[in-house]
Amino acid sequence: MRQDFLIVGGGVVGMAVAYGLARAGQRVTVLDERDDALRASRGNAGLTWVQGKGIGMPRYAELSLDAVQAWPAFAEELQARTGVDLQYERRGGVDLCLDADEAETRQAEYRTLQTVSPRLAREFEWQYLHRDELLEHLPGLGERVHGGTWSPHDGHCNPLYLLRALYAASLDLGVTLHPATPVQSVARRAGRFVATTPRGDIEAERIVIAAGLGAQTLAPMLGLSGAVRPLRGQIIVTERLPLIDQLPTPQIRQTASGGYLIGDTHEDAGFDKGVTLNMVNALAAKAVRIFPRLSQARLVRAWGALRVMTPDGNPLYEASKACPGAYNINCHSGITLAAFHAGDLARAILDDCLSQDFPQFSGERFHVPA
Amino acid sequence: MFRRSPHACQTASQVQIRVDGIAVSVPDTLSVAAAVLQVHGWQGYRRHHDGSPRAPLCLMGSCHDCLITVDGQPNRQGCLVPVAEGMQVERQGGGRHD
Amino acid sequence: MIESRHADIAIIGAGPAGMAAAVRLAEAGVHPVLFDLNATPGGQIYRQLGNPQVGAGVMGEEYQHGRSLVEAFARADIDYRPLSRVWWIGRKGTGYDLGVVQHRAQSWHAERLILASGAMERGWPFPGWQLPGVMTAGAAQILLKQGALLPGVSPVLAGSGPLLYLLAWQYLQAGQPPALVLDLASASRYRALLRQPRRAWHGRNYLLKGVRMIAALRRAGVPVLLGVDGIQAEGREAVERVRYRHRGHWKTLPAALLLTHFGVVPEPQLARSLAIPHRWETGQQAFLPERSEVLAVEERLWVAGDGGGIGGAINAEREGRLAALEVLQSLAGKAQDGLARERAALQRARRRDLEARRLLETLFRLPGDWLEVQPEDTLVCRCESVSRGEVERAITQGAAGPNQLKAFTRCGMGPCQGRQCGESVARLLAHRTAQSMDAIGYYHIRPPVHSVTLGELAAQQET
Ligand SMILES: Cc1cc2nc3c(=O)[nH]c(=O)nc-3n(C[C@H](O)[C@H](O)[C@H](O)COP(=O)(O)OP(=O)(O)OC[C@H]3O[C@@H](n4cnc5c(N)ncnc54)[C@H](O)[C@@H]3O)c2cc1C
Ligand SMILES: Cc1cc2nc3c(=O)[nH]c(=O)nc-3n(C[C@H](O)[C@H](O)[C@H](O)COP(=O)(O)OP(=O)(O)OC[C@H]3O[C@@H](n4cnc5c(N)ncnc54)[C@H](O)[C@@H]3O)c2cc1C
Ligand code: FES
Repeated sequence: MRQDFLIVGGGVVGMAVAYGLARAGQRVTVLDERDDALRASRGNAGLTWVQGKGIGMPRYAELSLDAVQAWPAFAEELQARTGVDLQYERRGGVDLCLDADEAETRQAEYRTLQTVSPRLAREFEWQYLHRDELLEHLPGLGERVHGGTWSPHDGHCNPLYLLRALYAASLDLGVTLHPATPVQSVARRAGRFVATTPRGDIEAERIVIAAGLGAQTLAPMLGLSGAVRPLRGQIIVTERLPLIDQLPTPQIRQTASGGYLIGDTHEDAGFDKGVTLNMVNALAAKAVRIFPRLSQARLVRAWGALRVMTPDGNPLYEASKACPGAYNINCHSGITLAAFHAGDLARAILDDCLSQDFPQFSGERFHVPA
Repeated sequence: MFRRSPHACQTASQVQIRVDGIAVSVPDTLSVAAAVLQVHGWQGYRRHHDGSPRAPLCLMGSCHDCLITVDGQPNRQGCLVPVAEGMQVERQGGGRHD
Repeated sequence: MIESRHADIAIIGAGPAGMAAAVRLAEAGVHPVLFDLNATPGGQIYRQLGNPQVGAGVMGEEYQHGRSLVEAFARADIDYRPLSRVWWIGRKGTGYDLGVVQHRAQSWHAERLILASGAMERGWPFPGWQLPGVMTAGAAQILLKQGALLPGVSPVLAGSGPLLYLLAWQYLQAGQPPALVLDLASASRYRALLRQPRRAWHGRNYLLKGVRMIAALRRAGVPVLLGVDGIQAEGREAVERVRYRHRGHWKTLPAALLLTHFGVVPEPQLARSLAIPHRWETGQQAFLPERSEVLAVEERLWVAGDGGGIGGAINAEREGRLAALEVLQSLAGKAQDGLARERAALQRARRRDLEARRLLETLFRLPGDWLEVQPEDTLVCRCESVSRGEVERAITQGAAGPNQLKAFTRCGMGPCQGRQCGESVARLLAHRTAQSMDAIGYYHIRPPVHSVTLGELAAQQET
């Protein structure tokens, strides 16, 4: 059957777009690699988070605000369609500052953001709280923590269940899924797009590259930017512990199953997604510094995953000029932005108005003039 | 419950430990899990996070169903900790969420 | 940064393989460091043999066989570290980093490494296997070795494999015969055996031993039922009844203790954690790490003993010695003439032994479709309480491999690190997607291989 869209990449970005397009009645085929491929979507922290986004690019912070506002309805819809509980919660969040320097820098950044964007000045709510004031949000917070920025916009979910729900809902809407089908090359032929795979060629009217780091090689084949690079993050998780009423932080959060997820590092390690003994030790030490009660908690999991980083760290939403009908979608906050990707972004792709609606995020910003 | 065989060699010394506050004497060659199986058996050993009752399955460190509190430290693998004189052992029969 | 302690040679595991390797190295004047989980050396088979709790009459001659090895190990100059959990393993430079907890966390760097971490009993789901009162035959045997502990009630034994019969026989010798032995091996095994007379001949000693044990049990009035093809444990807080299917009929038996055994497979965590390639071995029905004829996996890494494939205690001891010879050669940087004969003899014996073992594999083969016919709510993952139905639902929702499945269901995410469910999940995926076990593969295993607390790690960071 004729396919409207080929999506290359079955991560949270590709699946959110696939779901959005399928919901709009499109015939969609998703191509994905083998089970052991690089997948940021299976290794992230699960935050739906506004704080810290768009430093230097306020439009990104605004987009994140839009996304977290769309999240509750998005989560409810996915849950209703699939029965998968995303364990989504938006009760605010705290980005911790271990020392005074960090606290200074953070507040300065947020203030600058609000000076340049009137919308953020109005809508981005946050407050710096000292350690003692934070105790109400984070019972048992250690004494060697300076404080943190609190914001009501932030929340968290189980990113793995988000991925599962996107798969289940997409399959339910008739999306065709080809796992273990790595795309070797993509091309435009006779006005249509062809993906070459070990299982043969697969065609569609239009194509979305949502291949995470795979965009490095695939995107340039269609005149799109392949400028993404890996940035490793390591995360450790404890055994299940009694649930405590507390807010999530990017440094540590208790998941719905009770385990504490502790993250995450930023390391340039090429394509090595491994874990290192030093980092795991350091994360454990940080966790105990934040919550001394975790000293007796057992470590049950540790992993590394590669962030999909654009040169400036902001999302890349790009429509090909050379090959109209080809798009490239990359970002390093695919969980936060999922609600937006399935909604407004999928709509903009469908209506082919990506560059008009989201000009700030096009790949042109990376083209160095000759 | 498990009992010491009448054919046992008399080469083990006994140590005193407390299981749920009650002093018992067991051979010093046992693991904490084995000692609890001797004293109380498998029933009431532990409650899982889903509420189901659990007890040691493998006794060699692979299943993690022997979790127990040893000297105040919760969720130790009972089958990998040898008993020691004066050790305080608490079964997690009420679960860890109490 | 944390400072690492240095070792030229590290061995993980003090079973027959690790002990033999250490003893042989020490004989050559090389002194390895050896980490082992347990308080005393011996590994699984020779557990507690240094201070035996039950007489030879009960345990049988196989147990006694390890005496000289345990004694040699005790005498040898080895940096033996009991009660040490290797929770981390990783490559670093030309060697290996190890994270070890021995009372507290320590970091080690080893230039050469022998993995002798042995085997574990296969996780094999059936309804009720998570109930207190279900234990493995290996666990029951550990109680016997550790403290001469016998069940206070008459147990039902069920499953397949030599260990099941060995335990039944040991209980008989100890005056506590089982109520019943249910043999769950595939019904077609005898036919398979008849087709392989050569295999039967090579394994005749095993065959004879098995026949003798079964005869002894029957003489003592212990029913041994062959061809049982279903088992369930039932009860509220613990096992109250055992149900089994024999000749097409379900029968129910009041019982408080069900001891099961479904064969042993390599303990996978250390090798998997190093991402050593594995392949599915049909005979053993297990994923085995790929190693060369001389047990090498990498230039400075060897896998010896049952961790590399099930060969039994005698073979493990031989492999340990063989690995030691390879280490000596690697240290010398060239072939050692003096070791050639010793090595050839070990290899010959090893090949002969492994040939004989093929018989056991045929005899004790479990039914291949076992999992698919278990009720939907049978737990596959005990830690996270994930049922077979839930696993299959996730497969229909797009989980195409074990890792995606783990992400979708939490199956394999609990503290046992997938030891109990890894094989089952691969089997279910292979069945559902009509692919081979090798095409499906296994969970991506990362540290921690064993328990470690944040406090233990944090303390190390601060000193
Ligand atoms: C440690 C860490 C923590 C993070 N925390 C957060 C957080 O808290 N909140 C948040 O919003 N974001 C977070 N992120 C970022 C988030 O995980 C990513 O933005 C998101 O997962 C990216 O999704 P993706 O689909 O683009 O990439 P991926 O998940 O990497 O998916 C890309 C997919 O494309 C497939 N593919 C690649 N090449 C090909 C090819 N040639 N043919 C076919 N298929 C191909 C791959 O197999 C893969 O499935 C975190 C990331 C990391 C690493
Ligand atoms: C429960 C059980 C009972 C058995 N009983 C018998 C029997 O009665 N007769 C028989 O012939 N065979 C028995 N076997 C089969 C057994 O595998 C072999 O006979 C033999 O013990 C294999 O020797 P090995 O040296 O390869 O490994 P093992 O004897 O298994 O020794 C491996 C050692 O490595 C240690 N280890 C593993 N991982 C780590 C780690 N990460 N850190 C530190 N230490 C680690 C283990 O604790 C263990 O002490 C049994 C197997 C099991 C699992
Ligand atoms: S009983 Fe299985 S790990 Fe302790």
